[in-house]
Amino acid sequence: MSDSSTPLDALHALAWVAGSDAPEKNVLNLGFMPLSDCASVVVAATQGFAQPYGLTLNLKRQSSWAGLSDKLLCGELDAAHSLYGMVYALQLGISGAPATDMAVLMGLNQNGQSINLSQPLKDAGVTTASALNQRAHQSGSKLTFAQTFPTGTHAMWLYYWLASQGIHPLQDVNSVVVPPPQMLAHLQAGRIDGFCVGEPWGAHAIAHEQGFTVTTSQAIWPDHPEKVLASTREFVEQYPNTARALVMAVLEASRFIEESPENRRSTAQLLSASEFLDAPVSSIEPRLLGRYSDGLGSNWHDDHALRFHAHGAANFPYVSDGMWFMTQFRRWGLLREEPDYLAVAQQVQQLELYSRAAGSLEIAVPASPMRSSQLLDGSVWDGSDPAAYARSFALHALSDQ
Amino acid sequence: MLRILLINDTSKKVGRLRAALSEAGFEVIDESGLTIDLPARVEAVRPDVVLIDTESPSRDVMEQVVLVSRDQPRPIVMFTDEHDPDVMRQAIRSGVSAYIVEGIHAQRLQPIMDVAMARFESDQTLRAQLHARDQQLAERKRVELAKGLLMKMKDCNEDEAYTLMRRQAMSRQQKLIQVAEQIIAMSEMLN
Repeated sequence: MSDSSTPLDALHALAWVAGSDAPEKNVLNLGFMPLSDCASVVVAATQGFAQPYGLTLNLKRQSSWAGLSDKLLCGELDAAHSLYGMVYALQLGISGAPATDMAVLMGLNQNGQSINLSQPLKDAGVTTASALNQRAHQSGSKLTFAQTFPTGTHAMWLYYWLASQGIHPLQDVNSVVVPPPQMLAHLQAGRIDGFCVGEPWGAHAIAHEQGFTVTTSQAIWPDHPEKVLASTREFVEQYPNTARALVMAVLEASRFIEESPENRRSTAQLLSASEFLDAPVSSIEPRLLGRYSDGLGSNWHDDHALRFHAHGAANFPYVSDGMWFMTQFRRWGLLREEPDYLAVAQQVQQLELYSRAAGSLEIAVPASPMRSSQLLDGSVWDGSDPAAYARSFALHALSDQ
Repeated sequence: MLRILLINDTSKKVGRLRAALSEAGFEVIDESGLTIDLPARVEAVRPDVVLIDTESPSRDVMEQVVLVSRDQPRPIVMFTDEHDPDVMRQAIRSGVSAYIVEGIHAQRLQPIMDVAMARFESDQTLRAQLHARDQQLAERKRVELAKGLLMKMKDCNEDEAYTLMRRQAMSRQQKLIQVAEQIIAMSEMLN
């Protein structure tokens, strides 16, 4: 305490500051999962990006997405590195917990996930989508695929890709949930034949000769939405200045990571630490720099590799991005009734908060909250007719058709 | 049930509060005398609330209260005959959560305890915030100092100095503040 003779005077001065935009709460617990795409949160917390805003960010590593979402709901975590789809499942009450108003404060990254198949499949010559299709439709035991959360992005990329290759993800294969860092152990034990996960866990499996990358998530949807910085809506309403300061600190960190290749490399080194990813730099760095090897002999530079900022394009909480996950929940029967796609997404995506934060950092804010993308099966998503889009797929599990 | 450490700092042998507290259903650990070591007693007894019954709080009492609030904070309630507003202010500053002048009735004790607990909790939250803010400020000052030193050493601008420090910190899996401390220590050694 700076002035121990009259600590309470100082306390009350702090409590009654009026008309200030200082954070209402200045120490935050921030959850993250050990994945390369948590980088901007880790960099913000450890590299002095939050102090100038009067914030201290305490990082709390989580061991599963289910655990992370429980802690976010009960307030043990103030905000967290979160799966896009997970936030919407919490909002809609389809993840097992009661529906809770949620907030997407900003996007943390685009791209950087992958679908990988096991070494036994490789040895059996199942190295292409068409070979996989054949294998999946053979009689005999079903293949088992792992994702990381039933309504998360990895489940959605896995389902979307399998379906685009003619494999029904809910009928032709089994699907299980495995926390990201445990994928390798499950592969080694022969419990799974393939998995969809964020890096570095795909690259890590290849390094251990336990599998290969059959596709990347950016090949499914270039510059797709992925992780977000999320909180409950109550947090944003109770601590609006804190929420804005948090977004500014993380935005600055994401901009810093992409300022130079040197910054990206040192980010990989930081992430490798035991308290963050606890994985070798050699598994983290190449794909963080866009250098891909699929484990089958192909090497390429990926134009749509993991990106944290892209001059704000990766951070803007597009309303159409949020809506897309709800269309997939409908498609796969996770959502039994048609939601009000636009209204729900407009409530969850904190456009105003984000725009104010980005504006004060002179980061460009797109003119429209909708964007148009073409996915690998040729379908175009622009947010204009979500109900029809959800019904437009040949393979689906809509409960009312 | 609330455990109360009752300090009888009056000239009477049996304090006025003992009976009233027991009657109100509190668990009371009785202490008497001006000479006790309050922090040591709080440490040993671990009460939920400290209650001081005093005709007029002396400097000694205030100092003991300050020590308790600093090292093992508890709600502290003071019952006294002292009307002097300056003494009251002094007591609140020392860390007393509720200052009650005269009039002790068993039926009033529960609400007084409730107020003291609530007041204590909100003060604790504010104290934690203030502490965090002080720490943030201190860290910022150290980082600024290191940045200035680095700008001189490397003849670079502010942004470049920050980037250098951050890159160094990240490649060594450290926090920015750790690298700042290393720069300051190194510069002190060289000068």
